Amino acid sequence: MSLLSVENLSIGYQTKKGMLKAVDHIRFDLEEGDSLGFVGESGCGKTTIGMALMGLLPENAEILEGRIRFQGRDLVLLTEPQWRQVRGAKVAMIFQSAMNALNPVFPVDEQIKEAIVTHQPDISDADLSERMKQLFDLVDIPLARMKNYPHEYSGGMKQRAVIAMALACDPALIIADEPTTALDVIVQDQILREIKMVQQKTRTGLIFISHDIAVVASVCERICVMYAGQIVETGTRKEVFKSPRHPYTQTLLGSYLSLDNLKDIKVPDMKESPDQLTDTNECRFSGACPSCDRKCAGRSPEWIEISPTHQAFCCNPGLIRRGHGKN
Amino acid sequence: MAKPGYILLKLVEVGIIFFVILTALFFLFRLSPGDPISKMVDPMLTPEDMAHLIQQMGLDRPMWEQYLIYVKNFFTGHLGVSFHYGEPVETIIWDKLKWTILLFTTSTVLAAFVGVFLGKIAAWHKGSRLDNVMSISALVCYTLFIPWFALLLLWILGFQWGLFPLGGVLTPALWISNAPLITRILDVLHHLMLPLLTLFVINLGSYLLLMRSSMLSVLSEDYILTARAKGLSEKVIRNKHAARNAALPVITSVGLSLAFSINGGALTEQIFTWPGIGKELIFAVSNNDYPLAQACFLLIALVVLCANLIVDLLYAWLDPRITY
Amino acid sequence: MLNKYFMLRFYKGWQIFIQNPLGKTGVIILGVFMVMAIASFFVPLIDPMYDPMTGIDPDIKLSTGPSLTHWLGTDNVGRDILAQLLEGAKVAFVVGLSAAFFSIVIGTLVGMIAGYAGGLLDASLMRLADIIMVLPSLVILLILASLFGQFNIWIIVFIIAIMRWPAVSRVIRSQTLSLKHRPFIEASRVAGASHVRIIFRHIMPNVLPLAFLYMTFRVTAAILVEAALSFLGFGDPSQVSWGMMLQWVWKSGHMFQAPYWLIPPGLCISLLTLAFYMLGRAMDEVLDPRLRKEGQSG
Repeated sequence: MSLLSVENLSIGYQTKKGMLKAVDHIRFDLEEGDSLGFVGESGCGKTTIGMALMGLLPENAEILEGRIRFQGRDLVLLTEPQWRQVRGAKVAMIFQSAMNALNPVFPVDEQIKEAIVTHQPDISDADLSERMKQLFDLVDIPLARMKNYPHEYSGGMKQRAVIAMALACDPALIIADEPTTALDVIVQDQILREIKMVQQKTRTGLIFISHDIAVVASVCERICVMYAGQIVETGTRKEVFKSPRHPYTQTLLGSYLSLDNLKDIKVPDMKESPDQLTDTNECRFSGACPSCDRKCAGRSPEWIEISPTHQAFCCNPGLIRRGHGKN
Repeated sequence: MAKPGYILLKLVEVGIIFFVILTALFFLFRLSPGDPISKMVDPMLTPEDMAHLIQQMGLDRPMWEQYLIYVKNFFTGHLGVSFHYGEPVETIIWDKLKWTILLFTTSTVLAAFVGVFLGKIAAWHKGSRLDNVMSISALVCYTLFIPWFALLLLWILGFQWGLFPLGGVLTPALWISNAPLITRILDVLHHLMLPLLTLFVINLGSYLLLMRSSMLSVLSEDYILTARAKGLSEKVIRNKHAARNAALPVITSVGLSLAFSINGGALTEQIFTWPGIGKELIFAVSNNDYPLAQACFLLIALVVLCANLIVDLLYAWLDPRITY
Repeated sequence: MLNKYFMLRFYKGWQIFIQNPLGKTGVIILGVFMVMAIASFFVPLIDPMYDPMTGIDPDIKLSTGPSLTHWLGTDNVGRDILAQLLEGAKVAFVVGLSAAFFSIVIGTLVGMIAGYAGGLLDASLMRLADIIMVLPSLVILLILASLFGQFNIWIIVFIIAIMRWPAVSRVIRSQTLSLKHRPFIEASRVAGASHVRIIFRHIMPNVLPLAFLYMTFRVTAAILVEAALSFLGFGDPSQVSWGMMLQWVWKSGHMFQAPYWLIPPGLCISLLTLAFYMLGRAMDEVLDPRLRKEGQSG
């Protein structure tokens, strides 16, 4: 049985204009020690998925339907006190903006110890300091800097501390939401390697969320591409990166310019994002799709299998199977 | 963590500001209409006493020399002789200072603690009925006209219900009759209640509103989300992670609102005949007792600056990000 | 065309503002006081005995409670309390608005100059602001009153304005600092615009909304200080103000006997300052989009 299996999950936000469906019938599985990346533009619902997995959805958000099976339990049904047992202990999160993710008025080690003590109240002082040493070693922060305040750390060190905090209780699943976006390129590279190394060493499940498909591909074995609340293509890193089938994935890779194939790829104009307020079965990408033709109109997209691990969500099976616009 | 450099810097800053105020006051007294001698020396004194005082303050010397003598006299504690009491003003105001400090610190500290506590709760339950009631009441407290509120308290609690004395700081009979210390302390506290309540209510409103808005902005910070993700209970998040950060701007504002509280303090002392510096200043101004007024003003300025200094140091101690 | 844009922006702001419960309540209370202030011009015309300062009811020699001829009663020399209250509304508006106006004029000028000039001028202006900010204005007014004698109302207004600009100038300064390096300012500098022109033509329109927001808070402060000064007996003796009315109740020893005389003036001061404060808070929300969004999402 897989570690995490999300079935048919839909999440909506109550807004002034009505219910906005941020996540629409999502399904995916994650095996133990496996890594899965979510990629898409901002507002596509990827962060919402992460928050739902942590039970930290904002007050105006609501899980409309679906199940999140994690270690045999349905997380959707958990009460708040039950969630507190899970959060930080079994599922941990590395946040988007590491710059402010640490509380400025407490020393770093105290904030990490807090995570351990909350879930293991009986831990002895010796075990606790032993665990702290392990953690700081694992993320390469000198032990002498343990007692520093966050403002005394560099951006990269803060992000490492946040990773250490996520690992503190040895969780089975880590969700990393844009963990490197605020960092400069060199530090970003180090942190990505760090995350990958730690994940492989500890055999933790990883869900990695980013707008940058290259970053996702460098860390994750499998990739889900999201558009307007739906997964539009899923496959192994190689499949999605080397032979993208869904027009949106191709657009995404196309906007990620590389000099060799500049002339091969047409970067289509992205028109306005689709209206997520109305419930529709029609393809949400049709308004911006470079391959959309009259045949698409009135049809609902369906999952088309390219290989057992590679699928795309489109109305045009021929197009997907042909794998046009080869990369 | 000791931050001696920071403390020194702040002390120098306070010293300079006080010097500016001292100098400004000197020139105000010299440039205002009328003869400076008649402002600093009681015209009712005998010619010999007058001559002595004029000589002591150098009022017959040129302006710059007068200024130097004025500064010297201030630092040696000679601030002139009160017209009304016929005594050196420094002895008069020292006696008053303790009452002002008693009233001022108790009301500020109490209001700050209660205000921060209630503001925290209001922000936590933002938009609820509890929050609305607290915010609106705080707004009303904040805009109450102090003398009017004080008179209402005096009328209802003091006069109608007879719960508290109508003024003063002690019952004379009790102090003459050599009563035990505890009775005397209780007597002072009994007299303290009404002025304390007045200042407490007025200050409470502003602390509550400040803490509420500060807490609301802290609650949207990322580290609160991190704390939630660790699986901490809501209570720990509220009281440990949010409240401590939110209280920092409130502490700064205590310093900024000191001027406001001093105004209120003077009015409160005046209405409850509380024998503090504020009441003495109003008395001196009403009776043209210039040396006394000058001394009261300087002392108030000094108290304000010291309180500001304490607030700055407290802030530096609580916020690890401040290092000098 | 520019005007049309500003009108539209103003209209949109007003829509949000009037939907805000604080703003709505504030506007209603202010409206009532405005009517009172206007009424104060007409009341003495009905009968000279309703003149707030000199009108004495010949039949009444001491303070009496509400009656048909004197709806709120009279003071101890037989003057009508309602007439005084109406006059007080007028004085409060005049004092509050003019002191606030002068203080934002000074504060905006100092703030723009300090922020635009930078360097030593900026540092010294801001230190001066710091010093004035920690000084209690009422205490200063008392000292000045003892040195210079009784002030008339305009001098009081002016001194309050002098004491109250620093908070405004701090805000305007930081706003100016952020504007200073925006492309449109740099562009006009390159185009050879003078400093004066840049400050008044380009920076001022952008900081004015903020200055007006601060004006409402200054109004509150000015009304309170003037009332306190009058209450202590240092107000303008030729003007009836609410603070002065309270002083009369207090000094004539009527505070325990005449609640009809004690309650109205203080209530008016408190309500008027509350109304201006509410207005300020509501405007704060109109001008600060971050706050507005927070309010919408729950």
